[in-house]
Amino acid sequence: MSGPGRPGALARGLAYAIALLVSAAFLYPCWWMLVSAFRDTQSILTDPLRLWPERLDLAVLTKIRTIGGTDLSVFVLNSLWITGVSTAIAVVVTALGAYALLRRPGLPGFRLLRFGFLLTIMYPYMLLVIPVYIVIWQLGLLGTRTGIILFLSLGPIQFLLFDQFFRVLPKEMIEAALIDGCSELQVLARIVLPVAWPTVGTVTLVTFLLNWSQWFPVLVISRSPATYTLPTALLMLNSELGVDFQGIMAPATLTTLPVVVVFLLTQRRVMTGMVAGAVKG
Amino acid sequence: MGAAVAAWPALLRRERLFYALVLPFAALVLVFGLWPIVQSIQVAFTDSYTALSPEPVWVGLANFERVLADPYFRASLGRTLLYTAISVAVNIAFALAYALLLGGTLIGRGNGLFRLAVFLPVIAPDVAGFIVWKWMYNQSFGAVNTLLASLGLPPFGGIADPATVLPALVVAELWKHVGFYTIVFLTNMTLLDPALDEAARIDGAGRWQRFRHVVLPQLRPEILVNTVYAVIQFLKTFTVVVVMTKGGPNFQTNFVSYYAYQKFDEALYGEAAAMATVLFAIVIVLAYGLYAWGERGAPR
Amino acid sequence: MDGRAMRLSRRFALGAALTVGVGFAGAVPAAELVIWHDLGDNGVNWFKEVAEHYRKVDPSVSITSVSFPTDQWFGKVIAALNTNTAPDLIFNNYERVIRIQTQTGKVMDLKAELPKEAGFLGPQDLQMATYKERMIIFPVQRVQMAFGARKSWLEKLGEPFPATWTDVLRVAAKFRDGDPDGNGKADTFGLALQAAKPRDLIHMLDLFTFGSGLSHTLVDPSGKVTLGEPCHKTVLVEFLKAFTDYGLVAPDTVNHSFGEMYQVIEGKRAGMFRVGDWNVRKWDTPEVLGGDFVIGTWPAFAPGDQTAVVIGGMRGVAVPENAPDRARSLAVAKFLLGPEAQKASLKYVGASVRSDFDMSDPGLSERRLQFAKPRHALEAYDFPESIHPWYPEVEAELHKRLLAAIAAPPEDWGAFVDQLAVEMQALVDAKRKA
Repeated sequence: MSGPGRPGALARGLAYAIALLVSAAFLYPCWWMLVSAFRDTQSILTDPLRLWPERLDLAVLTKIRTIGGTDLSVFVLNSLWITGVSTAIAVVVTALGAYALLRRPGLPGFRLLRFGFLLTIMYPYMLLVIPVYIVIWQLGLLGTRTGIILFLSLGPIQFLLFDQFFRVLPKEMIEAALIDGCSELQVLARIVLPVAWPTVGTVTLVTFLLNWSQWFPVLVISRSPATYTLPTALLMLNSELGVDFQGIMAPATLTTLPVVVVFLLTQRRVMTGMVAGAVKG
Repeated sequence: MGAAVAAWPALLRRERLFYALVLPFAALVLVFGLWPIVQSIQVAFTDSYTALSPEPVWVGLANFERVLADPYFRASLGRTLLYTAISVAVNIAFALAYALLLGGTLIGRGNGLFRLAVFLPVIAPDVAGFIVWKWMYNQSFGAVNTLLASLGLPPFGGIADPATVLPALVVAELWKHVGFYTIVFLTNMTLLDPALDEAARIDGAGRWQRFRHVVLPQLRPEILVNTVYAVIQFLKTFTVVVVMTKGGPNFQTNFVSYYAYQKFDEALYGEAAAMATVLFAIVIVLAYGLYAWGERGAPR
Repeated sequence: MDGRAMRLSRRFALGAALTVGVGFAGAVPAAELVIWHDLGDNGVNWFKEVAEHYRKVDPSVSITSVSFPTDQWFGKVIAALNTNTAPDLIFNNYERVIRIQTQTGKVMDLKAELPKEAGFLGPQDLQMATYKERMIIFPVQRVQMAFGARKSWLEKLGEPFPATWTDVLRVAAKFRDGDPDGNGKADTFGLALQAAKPRDLIHMLDLFTFGSGLSHTLVDPSGKVTLGEPCHKTVLVEFLKAFTDYGLVAPDTVNHSFGEMYQVIEGKRAGMFRVGDWNVRKWDTPEVLGGDFVIGTWPAFAPGDQTAVVIGGMRGVAVPENAPDRARSLAVAKFLLGPEAQKASLKYVGASVRSDFDMSDPGLSERRLQFAKPRHALEAYDFPESIHPWYPEVEAELHKRLLAAIAAPPEDWGAFVDQLAVEMQALVDAKRKA
């Protein structure tokens, strides 16, 4: 029996055992992906559980130089460009939109817009992409990075995060500034923006991570691999002409590593950010 | 009436800043949100062969009739709902239990690392993650069966066996998503009132009783939010099917969004859109129903 | 603004943006024709060489090819043709182009365009190219598929190349249980098959059926279902048992499509498998199978079966009716029948429709020559989808039934097939009436 205030060593040990086991199980797939990128297919198949490559097989570096006849660098650049620009647009556009909707909820059309947006995020995303193909085609943006970027610029979590932030912004601050004779634009620039930077940073991070993983809209809007991002190119490896394990795990690692690094550098911010968006839900 | 119309330009002029701020956002919502939804619903009432032509032929409810009469769609809907129910229950239960473990006093050092580990799959690109899971379940050289065999246990059918494919996908998606729900719980657990727990302890309440009557009611809003999120998430399950099972084996994972997408790829736009509309309706009804139910039952 | 003009102006804008930096000021934008196919790197390299040859014919045209996985190819082509955003040319198996035609109605009739000198195309080639009186493709590559077995495995276990199904069963069991790769683990399989999608499973059944000399898998040209006929029944039952009772395939084969099947073959896990003419080039390389396989005809199920290598299709080039520049597209399509393109096709893809040139030139291996200058009997697939428009639907239904049977094997396979034949006949009759 453990006395009050002194949790038993047994309970503590058990708790750590469980947490360690769960963590190992959650990390294992990522680790396996990384290791397999440096082992040749034959050895992966004969000794699958190895936790360390028997030797660093760097054949992979030449193997993934092109995917489906397209240079790997194309996918890397697309990923960076599409994710980067769509993130920038998403952050700016939603921040301003959410601010306006919150400051003037009663303006004609604003309530309708908020409702319309909520409806949009309820629509099964995968199925929304299908009519989006038609819309992108009508706009003449089929097969362009611009089309992909614009579509990726609209996401639920950015709006919810900004909405929540502006909601808790002290009203007195704004009112005081208005009484002092500031215009609304000055309020935005001098009062709101300085305190909003941390939120802007968090939303930027979260959006970047989420948009990096997107593959389906990219696949649907593209007309050739020239506009594919890394995750989309990964799927393409399932072609009729054969698959090789290392050849898949290497680009999979390349797709995963950047977001993992960003996440590890900014862990707390990303976690609280993504979760905060949900709590408002 | 006339006065209201006359007031419009004045209003627009006075509030032009806010209209300007909202304009880009409104444009995105309209063009990439509402307009596609309207298009999709419209396509659901037209003949697939002409749906994209300048003069689509209207067919009334024919697509819906065909879809609802299709035994594979009905089965698909059933599998989707079953999968959603299991996944939501398993994810919320796991997340709650694990959050209680990490949020309690038992684990001090390393707590941050454990949180990191469970959250990592949430940000890892899903395509890459599920490709690995597909290998993990491989009957001949996958990790799961190699591990079971080394422990002397019978092999697991994984995604190859119609009887085990659903649990296999539940586990793979648990890996991907549960970190999110766990952190939602953990974030709010720090807000729990320790005095309440202490009072219950003094009153002689056992561990389970304290959990049931003290902790759980305080977490009610988070459970609700997580549940709604999970319901929407799992009803739309798609990527895992594309990467791992292609709807098989024997149509056991032919979920609605995958089935609809296949119809789209076969140019059966009308039927695909009809399926999308049905799923949309279900998502709205379930999400709204859960919220209404949660609000009504709130202790406040 | 029509699609072409839009594309041109966009390309122009992009080109201008790109070229300003290097100070290039091109006078006329060269026409860039785009071909969509699913041949992967082999196809990309083939079209690259074709483009080089074609530049000598018309220097203003450059050809780019884009390879998609097969299912994506379908979705993309159908959506593009339906929205008037078609590529200049599409390239694939004739039955896939038929599906494009039935779902878009926008594949051009090439009958009047067939070059006079295309005498190397036989009547059967032309029949495959024709659907509902329209010539929807120029036939470019005959698709041959043989039965293959790992050479070193056969040698190790002292077995000859299996000629009959009984041989296959014996050898497959040895491959599975006899550790043919000598790694001390029971991780090998007798056969590599696939079953995930309708075309996967039925395609494999087609090969065993036609390879043993039979002429129809599911239905004959008159609309009679053949499943229940004695010879067909034997093939079907044995084929299904390979998945179930005999356990000769990897347990997850029901989920396998082409990608996974190749994983099993190229991962050196399976002893016997399908060898397509386009596979050999890759499998001859040391990183894959290093040429360690023997090619032959499909097994005989009864004494006296006329076993053969199967001509399982025809790949060809099609022109969308709404292609941006049809005249140029047609010129390139015709060029694919010329000797340069055909020779390059043999070199990169392993298949062609002409052999009236020097074979030593591309430097083909022993295994590749077996396809290039066929030395086995050839049996052509019956191409039911070009006769019966409803065939794909009926085939999809058959696939569902067969998958269900593999998932829950019936006690009596014979009775199962008899019942299946009756039900499929009813379905066919209903489709024919409709």
